[in-house]
Amino acid sequence: EGKTAKPSFGDEAVQSLLYKMTGLNLQKVFRPVKKELKPPKYKLMTEAQLEEATRKAIEEAKEKLIMPPVLKEREPIDDVLAEDKFLEGTETTKYVFTDLTYSIPHRERFIVVREPNGVLRKATWEERDRMIQIFFPKEGRRVIPPVLFKDEHLGTVFRQDRHEDILNMCIAQFEPDSPDYIRVHHRTYDDIEKDAKYDLLRSTRHFGGMVWYLVNRKKTDGLLIDMINRDLLDDATSLITLYHMLHPECLSAKAAKEGKLQGVDLIKVFVKTESQKESYIQLALQAYEEAMATSTAS
Amino acid sequence: ALFAGSRLLKGYRGGHVVIRFALGGCTNRPFFRIVAAHSRRARDGKYLEQLGCLDPLPNAHGERVAGLNLERLRHWLGCGAQLSRPAEKLLGLAGFLPLHPMTVTGAERLRRRRAQEAAAPAADSSVGPADAP
Repeated sequence: EGKTAKPSFGDEAVQSLLYKMTGLNLQKVFRPVKKELKPPKYKLMTEAQLEEATRKAIEEAKEKLIMPPVLKEREPIDDVLAEDKFLEGTETTKYVFTDLTYSIPHRERFIVVREPNGVLRKATWEERDRMIQIFFPKEGRRVIPPVLFKDEHLGTVFRQDRHEDILNMCIAQFEPDSPDYIRVHHRTYDDIEKDAKYDLLRSTRHFGGMVWYLVNRKKTDGLLIDMINRDLLDDATSLITLYHMLHPECLSAKAAKEGKLQGVDLIKVFVKTESQKESYIQLALQAYEEAMATSTAS
Repeated sequence: ALFAGSRLLKGYRGGHVVIRFALGGCTNRPFFRIVAAHSRRARDGKYLEQLGCLDPLPNAHGERVAGLNLERLRHWLGCGAQLSRPAEKLLGLAGFLPLHPMTVTGAERLRRRRAQEAAAPAADSSVGPADAP
């Protein structure tokens, strides 16, 4: 039934947990994007107007933080519509026919290829994307994907700490279920996890996807340490709750369900059973508790 | 202006709507627009509606790109438009219409000519004066 089935990215509970962890740093979300230079506008407001403006800003920020979908890789298309072997040898290059009817969605558009050997087949996903971009161009997308998305050049991007920019470019260029999109996203998440640069994505719409990827592959230790070091205990508990939702058969999940643990105890149980970098997390927890003790004492 | 009106509102006697190719582009660079127009109009002149395009030269990926607005094509065919022979052949290749018989005949003729050319040089080299093909 619904509860025993594996929770997917789009479930409400999962989305709410991921959204809480993303954080809402208004300074970072509305960081100035490079546009043409205009002199700044100053407004004189009362307290009430300032609150109203902040509230509107929070709503707009929520719109900007909607997470892009995480889908499985699409199956390649190989569907033959007609075989006319006697046409072999008449042409030297293939014909690609695209249906230009304006009102049909791009997924249902007919794009067929007549090969020089006479076979009439449906176009592959790459051919489809190219043809749709030629006839129905979308902003920010190029007909041939930029060379930047190849593996050898992604390293340069990561060295400059521009993970968010490359992920935004990737969303503009590829469809969410294309293998290129998934490959670029996984490379970015792996690099972030390798160098513990979690804060780069913290208040952006890519954070949820990254957490989903890490939890599915059980590589959550670095993220946990980072959260404890920044005193984000609530985020740490939501991370562990998500982990238990996705892997209900692990020891800490069962222990948590029996004991109904909350907060720091949950983290401690999780650390004892599931993590690889136990010592680091214990150290971070100790530092956090000492900091709490000194702050409450003083 | 008065003089523009007499040129634009041309009335023809007879004629019918055809769907055909209108040639455009530059020297040594053709580009066809698939167009519904009156049969008496100039080939590249005023048309009723553009229904697609065809680029006869192969692109970087070795394919000849063609776009067809099938919905409007069906509308004009329903209005009684006729097709030119190259348009019929193209739609046959696309799969929208059945394959044109001349495409099949052309393929047959090409194959036969190629077979004869392959046989004739072999015969030429083995036997001196070749028989009539």
